Amino acid sequence: MKTTNLFIALLLLTSGLFFSCEDQVTTTYTYRTMMPVYLEMSDVRARLITTEPAKPLDNPGKIYIYQDYLLVNEPSKGIHILDNTNPANPINLSFIPIEGNMDLAVNDNILYADNYVDLLAFDISKISNIKLVNRVKDVFTHLYRHDTGQIITFKDTVITTDGPRWEIDGGWALRSDMSFTANFSAASKSYGTGGSMARFTLMDGHLYAVDESTMRVFDVQNAAEPKFIKPINLGWGIETIFPFQNKLFIGSNRGMHIYDASTPHSPTRMAVYEHVVACDPVVVNEEHAFVTLRTGNFCINGVNELQVIDIKNPYAPKLKKAYPMLNPHGLGLAGDFLFVTEGKHGLKSFNVKDVMAIDKNQLEFLQNMKSIDLIPGPKSLIVIGPDGVCQYDYSAPSKLRKLSCIQVTNPVIIS
Amino acid sequence: MRSKVFCLILLLFFSYVRSLAQENAYFHQTEVGFLWGKGIKNWDGNYLNRMDVSISTFHGVKISSHHVLGFAVGYDQYDQISLIPIALGWRGFLGKENKAQLFGGMDFGGGSTFLEKKETNQWSSSWYEGGMMIHPMLGVKLPAKKGNWALSASLGYKRQQLSYFQGFLDGSGQSSFAPTTGSRLPSGFTSLNETNYLFHSLVFRMGVMF
Repeated sequence: MKTTNLFIALLLLTSGLFFSCEDQVTTTYTYRTMMPVYLEMSDVRARLITTEPAKPLDNPGKIYIYQDYLLVNEPSKGIHILDNTNPANPINLSFIPIEGNMDLAVNDNILYADNYVDLLAFDISKISNIKLVNRVKDVFTHLYRHDTGQIITFKDTVITTDGPRWEIDGGWALRSDMSFTANFSAASKSYGTGGSMARFTLMDGHLYAVDESTMRVFDVQNAAEPKFIKPINLGWGIETIFPFQNKLFIGSNRGMHIYDASTPHSPTRMAVYEHVVACDPVVVNEEHAFVTLRTGNFCINGVNELQVIDIKNPYAPKLKKAYPMLNPHGLGLAGDFLFVTEGKHGLKSFNVKDVMAIDKNQLEFLQNMKSIDLIPGPKSLIVIGPDGVCQYDYSAPSKLRKLSCIQVTNPVIIS
Repeated sequence: MRSKVFCLILLLFFSYVRSLAQENAYFHQTEVGFLWGKGIKNWDGNYLNRMDVSISTFHGVKISSHHVLGFAVGYDQYDQISLIPIALGWRGFLGKENKAQLFGGMDFGGGSTFLEKKETNQWSSSWYEGGMMIHPMLGVKLPAKKGNWALSASLGYKRQQLSYFQGFLDGSGQSSFAPTTGSRLPSGFTSLNETNYLFHSLVFRMGVMF
């Protein structure tokens, strides 16, 4: 009897559950976007900047080599200081919290760093006692919303909403990497001085800072007293800057600009070498510029190649030869040796003495070394990739030897 | 890892079942039938009904004369989507053995979508993920005149969850983005459409038991 009741109960349950029901569909849409954040510059300036104990690297941006130290930017948060006396065992020393910081450069024991609209100068002659010595106000003015002293910055944010967003399926309206503010996030992902993806660069007593459209020139002949001289309009899509022998090579997503900086406070344009839209860091030696073009981000064009450009006449750069690559991100030149990071495909090294036969002089193709950018430093080759910040002995360029990797909490992800 | 554990459990279970089969404690049920469900409301207010194939095979151990515990695997079709339900189950019988019996059952588990390929191109990626499944049923067992065999027919309700994801990849190819940890956006994506389906189906199946 008992079991019969159970069956009846089960039957009722089954039918009850079923006949009242229709299929249910719920949709959520999760997207990454740039949320505007408004800040009063007066508040930012009022905050005291004091060195903090070492913090683990979270999502490092630019890396700068200065003497035995590595200075690693944590985009919009500050700068890590690492002792790299022994590249096989770098030691994390301290952290300078600098809001809105994206880039850095060091000149004569003075560290320059941007703090939203201001340029800061720190005395780092005593690494255990870093002092803020100067603040040049209101130079990166593109962050100002209006004249009231309020700035607008953007914070990478993930938002989940109910309901589908089929109408933007193609991904225009809200795709953060397609928006103008993506330049900001792109900035946060530029790595390396000496590396090819730098945005601050020092040459001949002057500091050059490029943002997405403008180059700003600072006189730093008196290192602790940087003076803002002037902005130079470059046009949109500026990505990297590389100094070489009184010239500035500026990589944009449309081509390469060459500026004559023999009058350092007023660089003048020598030439613009234009090509199809692509993302392209630049490195240079006496005769040639090496440019990598790759697909991805804003630069979808299907071109992945290494271009060698003849710059013997900087007023008329000429394409000498192009070599197909897989997905080149950054590149570094050390004498006759060129290193190219191929994203998820690995890392390649070439002897580029004969620029017409680079493809025949590939030394190594380390396919397990996924990498984004690299810096050929005086002691080691620093490679940034999903494993963190790794250093390699490249005294024998045809045979890289791993020395160490600095762990990173949020390493780059290569898709 | 999870699949390894699952395989191991299956292996152990089968070896156990083989040993039991010799003692006649093994119970098997294979059924084929259909799933019927009231789909979502169309633009004109009508429902788009579903009617798809459902196959199930249940392997169990008689824990008493009227009760069987075991597991079920099968194949369910929901419109264009194929699911492999994997469940733990119970069957209970009412009435005398070797006569027509009523039986009730309950399967509880999940649906696997490994038949549905993840599609990825340069810009986007889409995939299915199966979810929880509950399937209570009632049926009749009609034993054959000879041997252990019996015909079975069952009517039940199946509740199956399923998710469809469609995400756009971060084209920069070098994203690293702190807020994704713990958020609903997997790393490497800039956006994700998540569609959660809850299917309520009436299941009618016929087959054999032994």
